Amino acid sequence: MSALAWGRRYLLCPPDHYEVAYEINPWMHRDVSVDADAARRQWDGLVTALAEAGAAVELIEPVAGLPDMVFTANGAAVDGWRCVQSRFLHPERGPEAEHFGRWFADHGYEIRHLPPTAHLEGAGDVLPFGRRLLGGYRSRSDFAGQTALAQLLDLEVLPVELVDPRFYHLDLSFCPLDDRRALVVPEAWDRYGRQVVEALVPEPIVLEPDEAASFCANAVVVGSTVLLPASTSRLDGVLRGLGFDVGVVPVGEFLKAGGGVRCLTLALDVSLAETAS
Amino acid sequence: MAVSETIEVRGHILDSLVLAKILDLIVDAGADYCLLDLDVGRSNANPSVARLAVTAADEAALARLLAELHPHGAAPVDAADATLEPAPADGVLPAGFYATTNLPTSVRAGGRWIDVGRPEMDCALVVDVGRSTAAAVPMHRVAAGDPVLVGIGGVRVRPREKPRGARAFEFMTSEVSAEKPKGLLVARVAERMRAAREAGGRLLVVPGPAVIHTGAGAHLAALVRGGWVDALFTGNGFATHDIEASLLGTSLGVPVDGGIGGEDPAANHLRAINEVRRWGSIGAGVEAGRLRDGVMFECVRRGVPFVLGGSVRDDGPLPDVVTDVVAAQDRMRTHLDGVRLALMLASTLHAVAVGNLLAAEVEIYCIDINQAVVTKLADRGTSQALGIVTDVGLFVRELAEALGA
Repeated sequence: MSALAWGRRYLLCPPDHYEVAYEINPWMHRDVSVDADAARRQWDGLVTALAEAGAAVELIEPVAGLPDMVFTANGAAVDGWRCVQSRFLHPERGPEAEHFGRWFADHGYEIRHLPPTAHLEGAGDVLPFGRRLLGGYRSRSDFAGQTALAQLLDLEVLPVELVDPRFYHLDLSFCPLDDRRALVVPEAWDRYGRQVVEALVPEPIVLEPDEAASFCANAVVVGSTVLLPASTSRLDGVLRGLGFDVGVVPVGEFLKAGGGVRCLTLALDVSLAETAS
Repeated sequence: MAVSETIEVRGHILDSLVLAKILDLIVDAGADYCLLDLDVGRSNANPSVARLAVTAADEAALARLLAELHPHGAAPVDAADATLEPAPADGVLPAGFYATTNLPTSVRAGGRWIDVGRPEMDCALVVDVGRSTAAAVPMHRVAAGDPVLVGIGGVRVRPREKPRGARAFEFMTSEVSAEKPKGLLVARVAERMRAAREAGGRLLVVPGPAVIHTGAGAHLAALVRGGWVDALFTGNGFATHDIEASLLGTSLGVPVDGGIGGEDPAANHLRAINEVRRWGSIGAGVEAGRLRDGVMFECVRRGVPFVLGGSVRDDGPLPDVVTDVVAAQDRMRTHLDGVRLALMLASTLHAVAVGNLLAAEVEIYCIDINQAVVTKLADRGTSQALGIVTDVGLFVRELAEALGA
């Protein structure tokens, strides 16, 4: 067993303009107000936790009117120095794609574009496991988006159908921990998807329904540290038993918009193509 | 009517079980698939491509299924428009023309699918893109410059469903059988005729001379009188014997209801033809009160259109006979709209000729003492014909009774 080869460099977006301004997932309710100060404190806490775990953090300038830009995971799909610019399903988030695209271009990444009818919401729907990418489709990203991603990056993508609207992005039901293990929420996938993950992940850690619903899978892994938005004593025990340090990073203000720790971060050091070669 | 579409799905569709899911969805929807092509990626990173022909019960079911498959990456293969070339001269088709079947056919032109009006086998397809029409046109009717479909691209032919009458005949293991209870068969044919009529369809009868020889003329006349015949296609022989029987009581000189048939009965059919030639036409004879009963009389009286197609063996012929066989075909075509059921009654050559003109959707019952006729029809592409091997005289009599005619 070896630790993840990625997860030590992240792109984040300060929550200057963050709010729940629209409802595009079952977690969002416009009548629930966001406490901006609390949100800022929680976000600062996440940055600190990442740094303490040994991860580097880079920032993208927030843009007024794009409250969900704080969820950088959806900004792009990255592999090495190649970046596939997102295309969002909902028009509310549409303009984010270009801002992220510009950041990556400015930082020397090679930008690749989806065909005009395809949708792909970045790393939120694409997570590496081993040398393959697991892709979520039929919620935000579509099959055409996942197929295009595979083509643009010349990587193998296994698309799994997301069937539970609560887990509208793949990163709410799947979190790779190392080369053999991942946190999984099987009820988020159709029966074919469950079989695919079963074949892909030798030792899956299946989350209990309450753990899944508290975004436990929306975690990031920095070496041997797992940073989760919430945990349970059961999950803590399991993770610690496997040799992981567990850090709970409270991001409750962001859960109001349906995003946890993973959603707030975009891993910049995924490099499957190089690993493969 | 079963309809098909070719779809394609590409990507990492094997390990992701997406292809398996697509196949399951097709089967779960009650549709069928045929895997036309599977190109497996050479390495894990290479995508695979599968092409499938999907067949659903009807257009609506196919559309629903395609909509269900679409989110999983399966999309119809971009259909290209059919290639059209102008006919080089009147009655001459461009090389490589598409030869039709009698099955329901659609042509893709101007970016959309156009149904062929009335399918007919062994024709060319003339497509008017502007008007969105496509017609099966026999070679001799094609005019110079007509846009004729060439090649097979952009053509969709839908396989024939079980004939609508098949359920009535499911107990028959073969399509032709002499070993079945005839009374039951007659009742089923009568039932199908009623159903066709109720569905707004027209009924076509193609009788041969044996109908008259066997003494069933009066019963067929009763069917015409009872409104069970909307068009009648036959030849010089049948019409002659029908009129001979009416005028002289014989059929080819043999009395149809006893009696001896008078002097020189062998020439009776010639005398009958001669009479009609004197009248000018069958219709003129009816109008003048010379022809007072029989099948042809009833057709004239009820305004049932008939076409008498000529042949090289004809005596006379009757003035109504269309001796130009190509013109006779065309005359028959003008009466085919709306025909849903055809009865071929002890007629070989006319049954085959009319079978050639009928779309595969038309139910055909072929009644003959010789099962070779049905085989002949099927061999020539009229595969929907169901055969009943029996004496036509008895059959027509029982059919008239079953229909209350």
